Amino acid sequence: MTTFLQATFDGVATGSLYALIVLGFVVIYRATGIINFAQGGALLLGGYITYNVSTSWGGNYFLGIIFSVAVCAGFSVLLQRAMLQRIFREVVGISAGLLGWAALFYNGTTHLVGLIGGVVIGVLAYLITARIEARVGDRGPSELPLFGAIMVTIGVLFIIKQVAASIWGFAELSVDDPWELSTSVVGDVVLQHSKLAAIAMAAVALGVFFVVDRYSRIGIAMRATHFDHEAAIAQGISTKIVFATAFAIAGGVAALAGSAATAGPELITPNLDFVVFLAFPAMILGGLDSPAGAVAGGLLVGWIQNLVKTYVATTPAWFPIEDLDWLGAGFERVAIFIVMIIVLMVRPYGLLGTEEVRRV
Amino acid sequence: MSAAATSRKRFAWTRRVSATASNKAQKMHVHYRDDLRLFPNRLRRAALAVMILAWAFIPVLWDVAPFTLLSGNGISLNTLAYAGVFSIAAIGLNLLTGYTGQVSLGHSVFLAVGAYSTAYAGSVWGWPMWLWILFAPALGWLVGAAVGPFALRLRGNYLVIVTLGLVFIGEHIFRNWKSVTGGNTGTSAAGVEVKLGFIDFENLSLFGKSFGKDESYFWLIWLLVALVAWLTKNVVRTRPGRALQAVRDQDIAAEIIGIDVGITGYKTQAFAWSSAIAALAGALYAPLQLFISPGDFTLLVSIQFIAMIILGGMGTIYGSIIGALVITAMPRLIDGISADYGVPGVAAKSTDSGLVSIASLNVIIYGFLIALFLLVEHRGLAGIWVRIRNYFSTWPFSY
Repeated sequence: MTTFLQATFDGVATGSLYALIVLGFVVIYRATGIINFAQGGALLLGGYITYNVSTSWGGNYFLGIIFSVAVCAGFSVLLQRAMLQRIFREVVGISAGLLGWAALFYNGTTHLVGLIGGVVIGVLAYLITARIEARVGDRGPSELPLFGAIMVTIGVLFIIKQVAASIWGFAELSVDDPWELSTSVVGDVVLQHSKLAAIAMAAVALGVFFVVDRYSRIGIAMRATHFDHEAAIAQGISTKIVFATAFAIAGGVAALAGSAATAGPELITPNLDFVVFLAFPAMILGGLDSPAGAVAGGLLVGWIQNLVKTYVATTPAWFPIEDLDWLGAGFERVAIFIVMIIVLMVRPYGLLGTEEVRRV
Repeated sequence: MSAAATSRKRFAWTRRVSATASNKAQKMHVHYRDDLRLFPNRLRRAALAVMILAWAFIPVLWDVAPFTLLSGNGISLNTLAYAGVFSIAAIGLNLLTGYTGQVSLGHSVFLAVGAYSTAYAGSVWGWPMWLWILFAPALGWLVGAAVGPFALRLRGNYLVIVTLGLVFIGEHIFRNWKSVTGGNTGTSAAGVEVKLGFIDFENLSLFGKSFGKDESYFWLIWLLVALVAWLTKNVVRTRPGRALQAVRDQDIAAEIIGIDVGITGYKTQAFAWSSAIAALAGALYAPLQLFISPGDFTLLVSIQFIAMIILGGMGTIYGSIIGALVITAMPRLIDGISADYGVPGVAAKSTDSGLVSIASLNVIIYGFLIALFLLVEHRGLAGIWVRIRNYFSTWPFSY
């Protein structure tokens, strides 16, 4: 029983991370019909920014979380501008500025010169791109096939991951968080404080999201846009603002998940984005367009993953096969994909997703 | 001069130009057969001849003057052989994704099926070449046909994610089925015999001259590229191919006009054949690479295949080959150039300081190319080529 409760607690902790990540996916999918793989990039950046603020920049962990959520939300909106509206001026300006700063810095100038040079280069690049875009004119909505947009986000994910690896290296880094390795013991179940904190953060974020989604103007606008895009525009809803909000929320929750995932005994490496791939089964189980499903699916998948992990390691007595070692290390990560495939065979639109009605 | 006279004069000129154009080359297709011909005009036939000559002489001439530009900068014959293997796999993916519209991130799994089965059949069972080179695609076909109906029950986004799951499940199997795959460390394919009758590709001698592995593998692999390209082209320009494209464009409409999209229908067959082609590529990959491990068949490899067909052009055969050449050659070129000349900010060796390592830079460039081509010209290099061709074929009326 203790084993089961322990696995359940760990499962809820993992699951709340998944719920956050999946919420980001669902919000974007609901607004735009795109699965945004670049969420993994936001997660990674979020984790690393929290790391930087909490360790080398002398701030504390919570300041780091606020900062990383803000940066990732902004980054996510930029991505949306470039990808859906094909407005590249901000992206080009910021990348050119960063590259210029890095190049100057590596050529041995001082911090101040590097910074000013970077800003000048960035602003110039922004102005030039804006000029070019003004001449090319509005390209209108993207003619990309749907999968094309997904592929673009995968491309962006790969870029961010390698950029992060170039900046922070492949070494495992430890985030300076207030919990470290502390635990409490209830009954025989060990409750890691960092996991409790992850659950609490996820609960708060999800609670705020559901209130906003249900009662605020922008939340209603987002749901209306999902329900009928053109009718929403006809009612005076700015879909640009709705899309930007959706991406900002997604970027923010991904950064929060990234920070929570690296707290306590966990370490951060550029391979953290793998968590996003593990969250896909949760997204599928919940259904692509249901925020409530995101929470349910996330918790369920986290729970299944930890149960499988626990019981493959120590096979219970009633189980007919004694030794499950042949399943291999890390089988729990595959198990959730197998569960996902089985569910999809029975219900092709997930447990809580809406079936897509198609016209010919 | 009055406006009417100007207009008349311009009209006359138009007629004259179009008359000379139609006399010069017979561009008008008057029969359905003309549309289907593989090499419809003199230009295409000349291109075919050039390709055959290139195939025959590139291995011999690779170290001679104009080619040293490439061979001196890291693109060896070995690189071209890899590009050939990836061309085959990319053609397979294009059949599924470009022609049938089913996006698969699981292509690297089928490459792995071919590679591992060849390594095992070739070195453990000691099978001869003609047997393993048939065995790998057959196994790939079976695995594809088994997975296909499950995957293709789903559409769009759901399919992308299930094929993503396939990569993780596949990788887990390759890491843990140690007796066949050698686990994490991988397995050797050095014992695989690459010998067809009296033609020994490890030690080839032609016209009293002996050639090394690089030259003979180039001939072998690019011959198979041509064969696969020809077969696939034949599939896509005839009835099955039309059916696949109808499924891609609108699957319900396709079903209504009588195209079978059921369990054994065209979608599953496209999946199975695409897997078979990928497994054939894997069969060649194993002896070329000599040592294969699960790290060779990760999600990144699948993404590379996607990058190849997006860059080259979805729904074109030659696009797959161009894409594979560019994507395979590019890292080596970057490698060669930055080792020789040094690119600012790029660390050529792991000990150098620099902003990015070459491996990172390559991945960044893949990502960038995928995003750039999809956002700017989603028909790829083939699309650009078609635009240039149309511009000149209707010149001077290029609008």
